[in-house]
Amino acid sequence: MSQLPLSKAYLLVDPKKCAGCGSCMLACSLAHEGESNLSLSRIQVFSDAFGRYPTDVAIHFCRQCENPLCYLACPLPDEALCISQETGVRFIDGKNCTGCYQCVEACPYTPSRIIFRTDNNIALKCDLCLNTPYWQAAGKQACVETCPMKALKYTVKKPAGPDDYIVNLRGEGWAKLRFPTD
Amino acid sequence: MYGHAGKILRVNLTDSKISTINTEDYAEWIGGHGLGAAVWFDLVKDKTITSGFDPGNVLAIMPGLFSGTLVPASCRTQMLGVQVYSWPCEWFGRSNAGGRFANMLKWAGYDGLIIEGVAEKPTWINIVDDDVRLNDAGSLWGMDTHTAQRAIFKDVLGSDAHGNWVKTKGNRLTTQRPAVLTIGPAGENGSRLAVVLTEHGNAFGNGGYGGIWGAKNLKAISVLGTGGVPVADPQALLEARLWAQKHYATDYDDPKIWPPLGITISHFGGYANANWPIDPRSKPAGCTGCHINCQPRTSTGVANEAVCGDAGFYKAWEKKAHGSATDISAQAVDLTQRLGINSKGFQNWLLYLTILYDKGVLGPGKEIDTTLPVDKIGEAEFIEDFLYRIAYRKEIGNDLAEGFPRAAQKWGRLEEDLKTGILPMHSWGYSIHYDGRCEAYWWYASMIESRDVNMHDFNIAAYRIGQEISSGKKPLVPAEQIADWFGKLEPYHDPEMMNFATDNLYSAHMARTTAWLLHYSYFWKHSCGLCSTAFSDLVNPNGPGNRGLTPEGELKFYQAVTGRKLTFEASMEIGRKIFNLDKAIWTLQGRHRDMEQFPEYMYSLPSIGNPSATVGQPQPYYMPTKINGVWDYRNVAGRHLDRDKFEQWKTRFYELEGWDARTGWQTRSLLKSLGMQKVMDELARHRKLN
Repeated sequence: MSQLPLSKAYLLVDPKKCAGCGSCMLACSLAHEGESNLSLSRIQVFSDAFGRYPTDVAIHFCRQCENPLCYLACPLPDEALCISQETGVRFIDGKNCTGCYQCVEACPYTPSRIIFRTDNNIALKCDLCLNTPYWQAAGKQACVETCPMKALKYTVKKPAGPDDYIVNLRGEGWAKLRFPTD
Repeated sequence: MYGHAGKILRVNLTDSKISTINTEDYAEWIGGHGLGAAVWFDLVKDKTITSGFDPGNVLAIMPGLFSGTLVPASCRTQMLGVQVYSWPCEWFGRSNAGGRFANMLKWAGYDGLIIEGVAEKPTWINIVDDDVRLNDAGSLWGMDTHTAQRAIFKDVLGSDAHGNWVKTKGNRLTTQRPAVLTIGPAGENGSRLAVVLTEHGNAFGNGGYGGIWGAKNLKAISVLGTGGVPVADPQALLEARLWAQKHYATDYDDPKIWPPLGITISHFGGYANANWPIDPRSKPAGCTGCHINCQPRTSTGVANEAVCGDAGFYKAWEKKAHGSATDISAQAVDLTQRLGINSKGFQNWLLYLTILYDKGVLGPGKEIDTTLPVDKIGEAEFIEDFLYRIAYRKEIGNDLAEGFPRAAQKWGRLEEDLKTGILPMHSWGYSIHYDGRCEAYWWYASMIESRDVNMHDFNIAAYRIGQEISSGKKPLVPAEQIADWFGKLEPYHDPEMMNFATDNLYSAHMARTTAWLLHYSYFWKHSCGLCSTAFSDLVNPNGPGNRGLTPEGELKFYQAVTGRKLTFEASMEIGRKIFNLDKAIWTLQGRHRDMEQFPEYMYSLPSIGNPSATVGQPQPYYMPTKINGVWDYRNVAGRHLDRDKFEQWKTRFYELEGWDARTGWQTRSLLKSLGMQKVMDELARHRKLN
């Protein structure tokens, strides 16, 4: 099999800065599906009110994997699970998705980064807002724009390894408010 | 109906009947408080009900119209019903909490939840979308609020930790935990100080609703919603959210630090306060969809989500006892959360106990005979003992669990202590919060309502800005500018609403100040679900010229969510109508003009300038005033209210509202003009209509 093109777009997150408000989830599902619905959000945030900083929040999002097992598992590659020729972003074309669930199960992460709409049997995944029928804002990501804490960042540079998707976005402003920056 | 889920869930604890009500039948009442009060009015046959503990008391638990959408700071739930805290009458009331519950309930498909009757045995309600069950809470009864929530997470999801996707019985997927409202031991033991709590520290604090749940044998309500709420224009809503954040919210990467506004009350540009927790390693966390995220998450998990006065109620006592606030203060807050006790006003109530102790009235073998170690106040030993006594009604705790006014009454001290002001309550038994002798509308609105009004809208624009003078700074906005902004605001266009000079305290202008606060709050906060931490937004250091987004922002959100255009004036009129529904219920419960009186000290003791205390060191209280035609912030501490003039103010307020000046009751013509025929008929039937 020939080498798959790398994605030229990624999401980076700072869980220590994330307030767990879920605004990113509300914006993601609103932009893509027309309603704020946590179950339809391509980014999933776990915020534990009983937790302790800095392990109280976890952000689960698509890594736009170099070796996308979801794409490889799809029985209709480039029709249902596709790779953008322009950006390399891995995305799902809902018109062609048969709801076979194989991409959901192939995703190596827990919870699976492939979301599943049970009402119409279609898989959904983060496309970095390539196709947002309910939000016309080319080149922007609803989650990144909406995050009030600026705990999410869009980048075109591929993170070196799995740990490099988690970054420190807490700068001088954060310190000025006397929250920890380390 | 955009913004609505479409139905209201109705659960009868007596016969376990579960049913729904069509939201559309109540469309004129918007959502949240309006919707809940209208349903309450229809369901409660005998509206002369005088005790919240009455089995006939119905509770309405209502997310706002905007809850469940991307409107910022809109995840608020109102609890309505006859409260048990207010003194001497248990008025129909409201309490309000953040967290995740409002959104979860909307996403489960409900615009509200109505609780009727009394369960035979401890019960909890489990809602997962359409699947609603009443479960035995025998194993949960006795648990603290945190342990009970975790037990419910485990019951609903099979684990109390976040993990993988979970499929519900309705074949829908979620990764989220349910949102759970619960009571602790204080509620189970029927305390009037008991809260209904959700998450770590979000609570329906005032009103004693936790005690009512205990009396109903209702331990908890869990809701897991996997749907969404339809909005009219998703694009417009996203744009409105981003517009508001860009121009008015704090930029967490480049925040404007403005000390008086740096605390997160009633302006959209607020930010989290690192000083609230006693923990140098905490971070901001927030309710669903919030842009401020004011609630701390600490490195120990102790006192998570505690904000404002609740977060620091014991700090001053600790400092006094041993020089600094330590983890003891945080543990004290945490214990109130776990036991489910409302700590609002505790700073004052504790001061009251120490005064009685120092006077030799309270202590072992004294007139108020107690072993409570008041001499250890400021230490862990005292506060733990104090809180456990209240929660479990042990010894003096049995009196205190009834709330301080009732305790003082039982001890035979009420009259004297209200005369001297050492019992620092204002209206209906609530602890003094801001000083109405200086900031009149706060007490006026509380008196006209049924609780501490707790709405900071003008408190920012008037008091907080003025207080900069105390620290030698120039106020952010000149007093004349504040007045000018109010002169442009619907519906009154009256700059004198912001004139706190003594000769204006009892004027028609101050009646408008009070009415504006109530009507705005009843529509935008109580019914649409906007958080009082962010709205209204009149002064905002991030906004153009320091002006906030009210009313432009609220109207943008309303149109994007509902698809309907609304003028601000129309919203205020609907707020007035919803407020008048509450007013009718108070009248049916027995409210009369003669009862709307402040405690004696307010008419005789000068304010010491401390916003929330009646005794202590005097300090200045700067407010906008116009004297001899010149606007400025001036120190108004040192004055008290004039009883006769307050009576004149009441007449002016009643006339502004369209109420009868002699009785304080509503008039036929007012209710006709508001389209409230059913309410009019009910009042007429009880001969309480002028």
